Amino acid sequence: MKPHRWPIALLFLGPNLLGFLVFTLVPVVLSFAGSFTNWSLRPAVPLHFAGWDNYARLFQDGNFYFYLYNTFYLMLALPFSIGGALVLAVLLHGRFSFGRPRRGFRLAAASGTIALMSSAALWLTGSPNLAYVVAALGFIATLGILFGPVAYRTVFYLPYFTAGAATILLWSQLYNPNFGLINQGIQHVAAAFGWRVDGPGWLTSTRSLLGFLPWPARFNNGGFGLGAREAIMLMGVWGAIGGNNMILFLAGLANVPPELHEAADMDGAGAWQRFRHVTWPQLAPTTFFIVVISVIGGLQGGFEQARLMTFGGPAGATTTLSYYIYQQGFERLDLGYGSAIAWVLFVLVFGLTLLQWRHRARDGSD
Amino acid sequence: MARDLRTFLKHFLMVFLAIAMVLPFLWMLGASFKPNPEIAHVSLLPEHPQPANYAIVLKRAPDPHTGRLLELNFPKWYFNSFFVAAWVTSLQVMTSALAAFAFSRLTWRGRDTVFLLYLGTMMIPSLVLMLPNYQIMVKLGLVNSYVGLILPMAFSAFGTFLLRQFMIVLPRSYDEAAEMDGAGPLQVFLDIIMPLTRPGLITLAILTFLGNFQSFFWPLVMVKDESLRTLPIGLLLFQTDYGQQTELIMAATVMNIVPLIVLFVVMQKQLVSGIQLGGIKG
Repeated sequence: MKPHRWPIALLFLGPNLLGFLVFTLVPVVLSFAGSFTNWSLRPAVPLHFAGWDNYARLFQDGNFYFYLYNTFYLMLALPFSIGGALVLAVLLHGRFSFGRPRRGFRLAAASGTIALMSSAALWLTGSPNLAYVVAALGFIATLGILFGPVAYRTVFYLPYFTAGAATILLWSQLYNPNFGLINQGIQHVAAAFGWRVDGPGWLTSTRSLLGFLPWPARFNNGGFGLGAREAIMLMGVWGAIGGNNMILFLAGLANVPPELHEAADMDGAGAWQRFRHVTWPQLAPTTFFIVVISVIGGLQGGFEQARLMTFGGPAGATTTLSYYIYQQGFERLDLGYGSAIAWVLFVLVFGLTLLQWRHRARDGSD
Repeated sequence: MARDLRTFLKHFLMVFLAIAMVLPFLWMLGASFKPNPEIAHVSLLPEHPQPANYAIVLKRAPDPHTGRLLELNFPKWYFNSFFVAAWVTSLQVMTSALAAFAFSRLTWRGRDTVFLLYLGTMMIPSLVLMLPNYQIMVKLGLVNSYVGLILPMAFSAFGTFLLRQFMIVLPRSYDEAAEMDGAGPLQVFLDIIMPLTRPGLITLAILTFLGNFQSFFWPLVMVKDESLRTLPIGLLLFQTDYGQQTELIMAATVMNIVPLIVLFVVMQKQLVSGIQLGGIKG
């Protein structure tokens, strides 16, 4: 095949390349150069070269270490959201049909009717809340029997699809210590056992699950408990568990050759052994891809949550590196320092990704 | 029979998990109809439903606390979010498809080097780019304008990468046959490659539209005027102290989330298969 002349290539590449130059390449260069200056949005400050000053300041900035710690701490939710996505995918991958198709249809009609009737009965006997939940249960069950895994997959994916400012505002109400659904639920359950509990402070608290460790005083750590960081992690797991990760795991599971499972069956392997020795190794590329993407996302995460729920508080407990960059750049107008933090973040992202690649390369050669 | 029992138990488990996932949405819907004093009740549903919450949020009725209309403009926010997301989506799909074609179906010197450069920049945190990008928009005089909201998002290395994944697997013989018949590259692109890349185009379009409809960071720094607020930036006006107007916030979030749920249920099949295709090869 003869090579095309580059004017033709440029014709196709042109629009994208132009945007790429103006909005990616030039900013990268500007930001890198800017991190070595006192670049500021304040009008009265003359621009001058500052050498490594911004970086030196960064490494002496106690807040930087605190916010770096917060960033990594929030990433501790990743194993739960990735593991949960795998569990959901494995569950969804199995058989959901009841033999002949007719039977499924009749079952769906039956479960729908039963749910509707009991919901109506509950409503009339004065339990509207239960009626509401039972109606939702019946709706999902009917769709599940009719459409199988697709119905459940759709429901699990919803929090991921709708994620944004609205769901963050929704959760900040759920976490309200006094009337939020979560603490109300905790108090309700506790009351059934005759206990009186206040429930965690969630977004208003600097406690954390690692709070019992002797962190430096400027980490503003409020001791052991459930605080703002756990609140953000829990919301994150809810939003991610049924999202793209689950979809990718499902695709990975569908690609496992059935002969492998049949062979393992012949050897008398149980369900767990089949998962451990057949499914898990076959999923390795998918898992690797998901872990790399999640770590990259996690290091840059926490901005929307901080801006919409907590303003980085209480006492900096939910300020991550990304929110710190925003604060320095757009609130203190100190673009030079903000760029320096951003580049340290880039080095972290790049370094961790490289580490994961090398780790995988080593595992692969065994 | 034992197999049917296991299937039944699996349905049971899945319904239980699904309810746990949608419980926040159920509470949101109920709370959006509560009168303010009922917010503190341990209850998913209102005792005395108050649809007026929606009227207040839509500025059809005054806020009972202050007696004045709220400073909200939902129709305008919807329009802005939709307008910006639609423009970004069409531009991004177009520029990405053209570039992906150049990277997958055309052969030219330096192609793979330039492509590696594209890929490399995907590793750079968007935060590194945001500060100087804002400065560039200031210099171009585009801050606080639709163009400023749309233009920087119209070019995507990710979109180029995704569509290239879809294009590179198509057999060479298609192009060659068309070229034998005297078709130029533009015709090959429009008549052969584009139709065959449809699943990829649809996936990219949904992801781009959703991402920009919900986009928070860029509009946050770009929008200064009330009239340019997108939906997420409009919702910022609800950021008040605890105990203020939960029922109104919930009415507002319902109005944001319900259209997305409808969009998802309609598009989910294409989206899921597209993510799976793009992800496996990626």
